[in-house]
Amino acid sequence: MRIDFFLVMAALLFTIGCVGVLVRRNIIVMLMCIELMLNAVNLTFIAFSHELQSMTGQVFALFVITVAACEAAVGLAIVLALYRRRRTTDADDASLLRW
Amino acid sequence: MHLLTGLVIVVMAAALVRAVAPGKPILTAIAGGIAAAALLVAFHQDLAGTDFWAGTIGFLAILSALIVVIHPNPMVSVLSLILNLICLALFYLLLQAQTLAILQVIVYAGAIMVLFVFVIMLLNLRAEEGLRIGRGVQRWGAILGGAGFAALLLWALRHRQGHAWMEPGRHAAEFGTAGSLGGLLFGQYVFATEAASVLLIAAMVGAVLLAKRRLD
Repeated sequence: MRIDFFLVMAALLFTIGCVGVLVRRNIIVMLMCIELMLNAVNLTFIAFSHELQSMTGQVFALFVITVAACEAAVGLAIVLALYRRRRTTDADDASLLRW
Repeated sequence: MHLLTGLVIVVMAAALVRAVAPGKPILTAIAGGIAAAALLVAFHQDLAGTDFWAGTIGFLAILSALIVVIHPNPMVSVLSLILNLICLALFYLLLQAQTLAILQVIVYAGAIMVLFVFVIMLLNLRAEEGLRIGRGVQRWGAILGGAGFAALLLWALRHRQGHAWMEPGRHAAEFGTAGSLGGLLFGQYVFATEAASVLLIAAMVGAVLLAKRRLD
């Protein structure tokens, strides 16, 4: 089978996550969709690492996992702080800084 | 391709039974099991191939990703996201990235997803009444933009250079092991590793500060 299978799969997953971030209004689900997109990027990295026979893609995938962990921790802390003040997890209700 | 059609039929059979006889999960499970068994019998000669398993895992990954986006209950979204992460870990195994597959299950499906489950249970989030999604321009713009983006990506994939086939025996023996990964991390990419540690500490400090009730 071809490497392209994994690349197509990653493209589809990235698109699903992207549409999810834009469409859903629940902040926690939006964060999960961002995780979906990061994972799709990881799959692309590893597929190309396999095709080019180079470990560099795997190292970068590891860094992407690190960034995802940071993003989840800070994002969920923000969600908790927002919920404590406003009793909501809806992105449309956090509109103080919006133009 | 036949296999994907069969899997779609399995899911549709389970959904049909669920629609006809709601509130009887055992009946749904039996119908899904019978359909899955028929599928296995029909495609038993494909079972040994990588294509079969890659197709099945890919189907599961796409299905669980769609459930993450469209399910109104955040808890179901988290659980199907965990299923998606495990499917991707199996993809990594197929691509000879053993260490990253293990790390994906431990760090991603274990640690990060526990954070999500914890926050959802702490806030006691219920399923949304109806699906709260953007209205009007935002919704249709997102869907059209997503379709266009997917078309762009697929076009780029179709016209890229070098269509490589997967050949498992082509790689060196230490490809994807923890040893070679660690050698790269602390050799060529040592600066990036240190930067990642600084990033982790910054994120930790930020999360603790955000969790405090008062900043004084």
